[in-house]
Amino acid sequence: MNTERALLEVRDLAQHFGGLKAVDQVTLSIRAGQIAALIGPNGAGKTTFFNVLTGVYPGTRGEIYFDGSPIRGRPAHEIVARGIARTFQNIRLFSDMSALENVMVGRHARSREFLLGPLLRTAAFRAEEAEIEARAKELLAFVGLKAQGNERARNLSYGAQRRLEVARALASEPKLLILDEPTAGMNPTESADLVALVRRVRERGVTVLLIEHQMRVVMDVCDRVFVLDYGVKIAEGAPREVTANPRVIEAYLGQEAA
Amino acid sequence: MKGLLNSRRTQWVLLAAALSLPFLARALEFSFLTRVGGVVGLLMLLSLGLNVTLGYVGLFDLGFIAFYAVGAYATAILMRAHVAAPLAVVLAVALTVVIRFLLGLTILRLRGDYLAVVTMGFGEIARLTFNNLDALTNGPKGLQVRPWRPLSFLGAWKPLEFVRKESNVQFYFLIVAAVFLAAEASRRLEDSRVGRAWVAIREDEVAARLSGIPVREYKLLAFTLSAVFAGLAGALFALWDQFVTPESFIFWESILLVAIVVLGGMGSIVGVLLGALILGGIPLLMEATLSPQWIDYRYLFFGIILVLMTLFRPQGLLPSARREAELSS
Repeated sequence: MNTERALLEVRDLAQHFGGLKAVDQVTLSIRAGQIAALIGPNGAGKTTFFNVLTGVYPGTRGEIYFDGSPIRGRPAHEIVARGIARTFQNIRLFSDMSALENVMVGRHARSREFLLGPLLRTAAFRAEEAEIEARAKELLAFVGLKAQGNERARNLSYGAQRRLEVARALASEPKLLILDEPTAGMNPTESADLVALVRRVRERGVTVLLIEHQMRVVMDVCDRVFVLDYGVKIAEGAPREVTANPRVIEAYLGQEAA
Repeated sequence: MKGLLNSRRTQWVLLAAALSLPFLARALEFSFLTRVGGVVGLLMLLSLGLNVTLGYVGLFDLGFIAFYAVGAYATAILMRAHVAAPLAVVLAVALTVVIRFLLGLTILRLRGDYLAVVTMGFGEIARLTFNNLDALTNGPKGLQVRPWRPLSFLGAWKPLEFVRKESNVQFYFLIVAAVFLAAEASRRLEDSRVGRAWVAIREDEVAARLSGIPVREYKLLAFTLSAVFAGLAGALFALWDQFVTPESFIFWESILLVAIVVLGGMGSIVGVLLGALILGGIPLLMEATLSPQWIDYRYLFFGIILVLMTLFRPQGLLPSARREAELSS
């Protein structure tokens, strides 16, 4: 089928909570450079799927191959180091830290100075700090928050907070960026800005997987769409194929509509 | 104001002011002032230690005083075994760190209130152990420590001649040095990848984990490092007072430390130092100057301060100023 190598390959993945099969038998793969969307009605298991992918939940069965190696059940921080970063459905910033510091924290996995460096202020430590700060500033500018670096995260506008989360995630130099409802609660202008940002993220060479409810956004930017319902993948394909799929319409609108 | 408080020059001015206290006390013929200064200094050292866990990482620790006790008892026991004092201090700190590390390994999976309850329990267990382990600690009768006068050599210089006889002054200087080093170490850690990781964990543990921070390891690191401060404070206390009993390490002291960190401003070094000065210094001065029938009211003073703080300044006296970098470029 596709000759290009898959960056993310999920095989028969399941996450059960007791009798509840939040995610079940999900198999999908995403090629490097794609923008993919995961859609589905509320409660379909999209966020749970993201949580297994990023190491929040261990998963019950199946395997996740990222960049060729299995990652299911690995600790979250290790998965970040391997190159998956994410944002959250409900914004989770370090609200008392400045915007710049939020992004600097995001570079944790890509820096190493520990205890003695900071305590003795070694040359290596100072060089790394300067590098962390420079990268963080570059990312703030990239998401359009150049002027707000000193602002506490809690004081930023809603849209700015969403973009700050993207900058923080990008700071770990991910190969795959996972966005959990990035345009939720945004007005049309803000979500158009975010769509543009997602495109520019891809231009940096980062593959994107997002959960999205606004079909306009999905049609606009995505190469590939996966549909979950009751934890099971019911369809996948190009955006237009998927929206025409009777099973998808049924999942969203009920049987009669289909 | 913040910039002023954190500037280099202010640090040196504060250090100079602190170092001049014994001379002031001498001029005023109120030598007890130096002793108050030393006690407040130990409180500062302990609070800076608790600030690492409670202030930066937000781990509620209600048994911190137990590690002060471990440092003090270890020093006392080593001194009685005729170990040289500096070595006793180093070994006592090391032992405190090891015990804290082992405790952290087992309890840091707990969060919030649960952690608070378990640390409180540990604090009580530690005190009761010292109270009952007669063979090692001599129980409630306490341990006598042989005298050690580390700074008598200063007396060779004429203006400092009085220091030779005054152990209070000698230990005061040692404590000031320790507080200065502890504050500087805290500042350096805070302003680094390690400090940012700690604060990130306090702000949002899940987001911290998913930003690549190994949360458990970093909590354990903070928990363990804080024992250096507590162990050192305990060692200095034992050598200074030359007498260690379980009475010095009651639950109330742990509460006082938590109050200092919260009052000062969680994670704010200057705030914590100020908190120790107010909550530690003022009751001691009241004790020294008020007539006996008023002394018990010092706790009332304490309560009033806490109520006022909760009402008007819940973020603390001097909440930590997160770094403001130059973004103009």
